[in-house]
Amino acid sequence: MVREKIAPMRIWAQLCTICRPAQNWSGAGLVAAVLALWEIAARLADIPSYLFPTPMVVFRYLFAHLGDLLLAGGVTLLEAVAGLLLGTAAGVTLAILILFWQQAEQGVMSLAILIKSTPVIAIAPILTIWLGFGPGPKVIVTALLTFFPVLINALTGFRTVEDALLDWLRSLNATPREIFLHARWPGARPFLFAALRTVGPLALIGAVVAEWMGASSGLGRVMWLAYTSLNMPALFAAVFILTALSTAVYQTIVWLEKRALFWVYPSN
Amino acid sequence: MKALDIRVDALSHFYGRFPALQNVHLHINCGEFVSLVGVSGCGKSTLMRLIVGLQPPTQGSIWLNGQPPAVARAAKQIGWMAQQAALLPWRTVLEQVQLAQKINPQNNSTAVAHPQDLLKIVGLNDFAQAYPLTLSGGMQQRVALARTLAIGAAVWLMDEPFAALDELTREALAAEVLQLWQQFQPTVLWITHNLHEAIRLSDRVIVLTPRPGTVAGEVGVPLSHPRDDTSGEFQVILRQVRALLRWEKNDGA
Amino acid sequence: MLYRKTIGLLLILLLTAACQATQPQTLRTMTFMAGFRPQANLPFVGVYVAQEKGYFAAEGVAVQIQHSAGGGEHLQLLAAGQVQVTTQDAAVLLQRRADPGLPLVSIGLIGQRGQQAFVALAESGFQTPADWAGHVVGFKGTPPPDLFAILAANGLTEKDVKLVNVGFDPRTLTEGLVDVYPVFKSNEPYLIRSLGFEVTQWEAADYGVPTLGLAYVTTEELIQTDPDLLQRFMRAALRGIAYAQENPEEAVQIVLQYTGTGADAAHMRFMLDTELADAVSPNGFGWQSEAQWRALADMLQSYGALPANIDVTAAFTTQFLP
Repeated sequence: MVREKIAPMRIWAQLCTICRPAQNWSGAGLVAAVLALWEIAARLADIPSYLFPTPMVVFRYLFAHLGDLLLAGGVTLLEAVAGLLLGTAAGVTLAILILFWQQAEQGVMSLAILIKSTPVIAIAPILTIWLGFGPGPKVIVTALLTFFPVLINALTGFRTVEDALLDWLRSLNATPREIFLHARWPGARPFLFAALRTVGPLALIGAVVAEWMGASSGLGRVMWLAYTSLNMPALFAAVFILTALSTAVYQTIVWLEKRALFWVYPSN
Repeated sequence: MKALDIRVDALSHFYGRFPALQNVHLHINCGEFVSLVGVSGCGKSTLMRLIVGLQPPTQGSIWLNGQPPAVARAAKQIGWMAQQAALLPWRTVLEQVQLAQKINPQNNSTAVAHPQDLLKIVGLNDFAQAYPLTLSGGMQQRVALARTLAIGAAVWLMDEPFAALDELTREALAAEVLQLWQQFQPTVLWITHNLHEAIRLSDRVIVLTPRPGTVAGEVGVPLSHPRDDTSGEFQVILRQVRALLRWEKNDGA
Repeated sequence: MLYRKTIGLLLILLLTAACQATQPQTLRTMTFMAGFRPQANLPFVGVYVAQEKGYFAAEGVAVQIQHSAGGGEHLQLLAAGQVQVTTQDAAVLLQRRADPGLPLVSIGLIGQRGQQAFVALAESGFQTPADWAGHVVGFKGTPPPDLFAILAANGLTEKDVKLVNVGFDPRTLTEGLVDVYPVFKSNEPYLIRSLGFEVTQWEAADYGVPTLGLAYVTTEELIQTDPDLLQRFMRAALRGIAYAQENPEEAVQIVLQYTGTGADAAHMRFMLDTELADAVSPNGFGWQSEAQWRALADMLQSYGALPANIDVTAAFTTQFLP
């Protein structure tokens, strides 16, 4: 009669072994190997720089304009992080709303899917009309891109509580609020961080896309300017900065995850 | 603490149209240790969940000390233990015990006992700061036991709490539960499908027939502790219980 | 000519003085959105120079300069009142007035000839558009009436060529995906040459087809409610264009302040020179007449690119021109 369910505890124990950080050096080595192959292939095939620049050409541009590129990267990073925080807050809030008010689920989910499937291009000008030319619209676009995975994962996390744990809490007459605080919220954290790992790099893409559609600073603008003048080394230099930022954001989330999920990642 | 008696009257329960329990009558006295045995799927766990009040029965009634289960639950009189220890992976052993006292704070049971003392009782003194994932299954169940003691529950509802453990650990923990029962004198309803265990621990063994679950009969165990399961008296009782189970089997065939 | 200019300048100075006398220290603020990326399109240059040389300040206007990404959002923002003046190609201005009915008005026609043209690689050997027959011709977004006009003038119809949407990417030409590529005269020809390819260029105007270029654009509403602001803006911007004509090197340096990292000064100079050549008008920069707009509308209408019964007189005003 009692539903069989894989104990989340066991899942965590497995996560523990899977998610140990890969050897940092092997990662860097792999990136270097890919770049080297790219360089050799591009040279052998004699591909012109305006089609596909070699890494050397890109790095030369990158170091010649490092200050400007880093400044643009900083702007994009700030927009992405602000959007990520806003999107995460919105996703978690909506998940809590649905959890405590089941009737809202259909409505909220329909609306969320509607927002998720609206092309950013279609709403960007409206956001500019409402929020002006500054970072506001970029933050909102990023938040719109990021809130959905957070909402889904948070909701799944809140609902994936061991039956036995729920039974025990109910046997003590725990209130829904106590059950949320002591079981659902901490239990949802692994799910939340799984969402954040996906959504962190996505936030940067969101900010870049928003900038591409009109901005006075940021990597998206650098890339758009480079593209419209067919300056491929500049475009790829911006892409390199973007991937570096992406990696940094991802690693920061992993770092935070290890601290927030201390029971999954024992310190010793 | 003051133990409660458990009374189950004409209880029937359905999952949809499927009858899980039919016309069950039970009465467990204050401070009594009663085992409920039967094959898997005979509705033992369902009966247990109904007594805690996790769900209402389709028909019939349940009384704990003459009151509905909700009252006993609100007063934190029910200690619930299941096969899974149901610990919070993000809390230390000590915090698990403290949380049991903190939840439902209107009935603050801090006065019952100090968490640290309780850990000493269940032999986890040195593991107060450990997280559940680092503990063995047996130790996790000891934490669950300490939690049950921490709220000072008058009724212990134990749904095969040690079934997932190895034989030796299970026997050792069962012996400890027996000792704690003698010390704290709660009313215990113990579910098992291990007949030796049932007879070794309880005052009475109640046999449930499966599909739908109903009481086939019961056997008293008028033996003093510690009980020797090789003794003749023990074997007589074991045969009686087996006979009830076999009768049920023939009936079903 | 010189006489007129001197008079004009004197007039500007006088007006400026008068304005400053009547409304001292009232700084007006507005937003100008260039219709595309920062570059040396002449209407953009006029604004950049006016900003950097303090012409706007002298008019008592603080101008915030924005750039559109080229997706048409500058017209939306103009209609929404977030932007007071933007730039737009004359043909598109007429089309947007007709559908969806945006209240756009040209207050200064800078491009007296359209910048749209078509190029083929010199190595293709194409001499006239008649040689396009049987080849792939690219367009951006929707095929422009200019294209049909050029084809018609050379005895072809759209059935004689294969039309494909290429968007912006001149590499589709250099890599051989298209044989004829649509360009803005002041932009892509330079880019393609810088990639190491020579091109042959054709434009509709060469075949007697009337075309117009970029204009400063505002809304009917703003002309009604705040002609003073527009007057100040236009005086300063036209002054900026005049300065750029006299000092093209300095103007390019000013443009580079807006383009940011990695812009090509020679490219910007090419753009500026090309557009200056097409901005010449007997009545000074920005001049526009009903005849010009009527001819453009007639051409668009004859290719079904504009509904009939368009009131071209409502699409422009000369009230802010000297």
